[in-house]
Amino acid sequence: MSDLAALLEESYPQSVRTAYLILGNQPDAEDAVQEAFLRAWKFRHSIALESSVRAWLYRVVVNTCNSKLRVDVPRRLRTAADHDLDATPDLEDASDRFAVVNDITEALKALPVHLRIVVVLRYYADLSEREIAIAIGRKPGTVKSRLSEARRQLGEHATLRDHASHSFDDEVTG
Amino acid sequence: MTMIDEDTLRSALRTTADGVVVSGEGAERLFEQIRDDDRSESRVTRLVREPSRSRRVLMGAAALVIALAVGVPLAIHQNAPARIVVHGEVPPRVTTSGTGFLSTGTQDLSASGAATPRGITPTGAQSSLKTATTQRIESTGTIAITVTKNHIETALNKLTALAERDHGYVESSQAATGARVPRLFTTAYIVLEVPQASFHHLVSQVQRIGHTTSLSTNSNNVTSEYVNYQARISALKVSLNQYLAIMTRATTISAILAVQAQINQIQSQIEQEQGQLNVLNHQTTYASLTVHVATPNHRASSTHRSGLSKAFHDSVSGFVTGFEWLIRLAGPVLFALIALSVLSLAVRYAWRGVRRRRI
Repeated sequence: MSDLAALLEESYPQSVRTAYLILGNQPDAEDAVQEAFLRAWKFRHSIALESSVRAWLYRVVVNTCNSKLRVDVPRRLRTAADHDLDATPDLEDASDRFAVVNDITEALKALPVHLRIVVVLRYYADLSEREIAIAIGRKPGTVKSRLSEARRQLGEHATLRDHASHSFDDEVTG
Repeated sequence: MTMIDEDTLRSALRTTADGVVVSGEGAERLFEQIRDDDRSESRVTRLVREPSRSRRVLMGAAALVIALAVGVPLAIHQNAPARIVVHGEVPPRVTTSGTGFLSTGTQDLSASGAATPRGITPTGAQSSLKTATTQRIESTGTIAITVTKNHIETALNKLTALAERDHGYVESSQAATGARVPRLFTTAYIVLEVPQASFHHLVSQVQRIGHTTSLSTNSNNVTSEYVNYQARISALKVSLNQYLAIMTRATTISAILAVQAQINQIQSQIEQEQGQLNVLNHQTTYASLTVHVATPNHRASSTHRSGLSKAFHDSVSGFVTGFEWLIRLAGPVLFALIALSVLSLAVRYAWRGVRRRRI
């Protein structure tokens, strides 16, 4: 099996979770990643020599997520209530851990999409600023300023700031 | 302004994302499709990315053939002497051999005054090649004569007879009447083609028909070009034979198509080179003499040029010569470009294979 096919299989779970953080919806995330992987496989010969394959793969995933946010999600919102973005199961009965997760989801939802994408790629997918620049097709300077702006907006999110300053670390590690 | 801590954000995102259970069942069909696709692609690309020993030998032989086909003619061309141009009435001192060939050594040409060859310092194998090769001289000339009134036609008949006596022929002729005397020819020109050996004899015979008002002859030693064409054709024929041998060993369709493409290209090159050689052969077998005939009051205007007119015609002639050289060089350059394209494609495939292994 070729290296790209192996990489696709290996990176599938993390790609789905990354897409979930961007889209806030697991079925959409899985749809987006599967569609992105199909595209990546179809256009595998167009990988630029100088770019890293990982960044290129994330670029395809991000583009597919953007497409879903632009077309699929608004259409669904028009036709039915969004039953997933807020639907982390049993949230109301959940433990504090789920409450934290919910807060972060809320905070991410509040971010504009272009800021949400760079935050997720940087702090979840662990891409460097250069790789993020490749993935979103912008300059590294733009990535840096977007990250800064995203952290500022997240810092203003009251609940998250509260978790960050008090019990969040304990909650996460515990 | 409050900014969220990076570590906090990182941990928070991981906590959120790790809560998502990815079963992978939905993606199983996708990966099955990718695996099938990958297996079928591997069978096709294995020949390129992981060449077998016979394929490597085939590609090596092809590269060698290309290198020989390009390198040998270029090497010969670089070692060839500069073109020799002879102007003036003093012909090169040559000895005749056979029909139309001017057999001479470089010493004879050097001794002919105006015809001093530049850069001919034969050494070693090149010297033996030059001395063993029959010299190829391309001669042309223009002469203007005046004849007495009413004798234009007679002069044309005499000129035709002269050419035929020297085993030549009349390539073209034209006569024109004057405005004042419509029934009589006042100017004419005739182009005579005679074997090279008879050229200077013809020039002296033509001068006896009338009064010579101008004369110019031009001799070019095109031996080096002739040898170059022969060498290129020989090298291409060698390449062709090698490709034909390779063709018998080619087993895959892609290999057969690749070799066939090379064979077609080489055959086309051989035909082109042979055509140019034939032209050169004719030019060196027959010398061309243009004779302008006029009555004393209607001297041919295009025979004797000086000053701006001469400079203009020299300029046009130089332009045409330069263009001829461009056309002659276009063949080898095109061949080299095609060879480079093939090599770059091979390198690209190889590099793509290497890069994928690094992923």
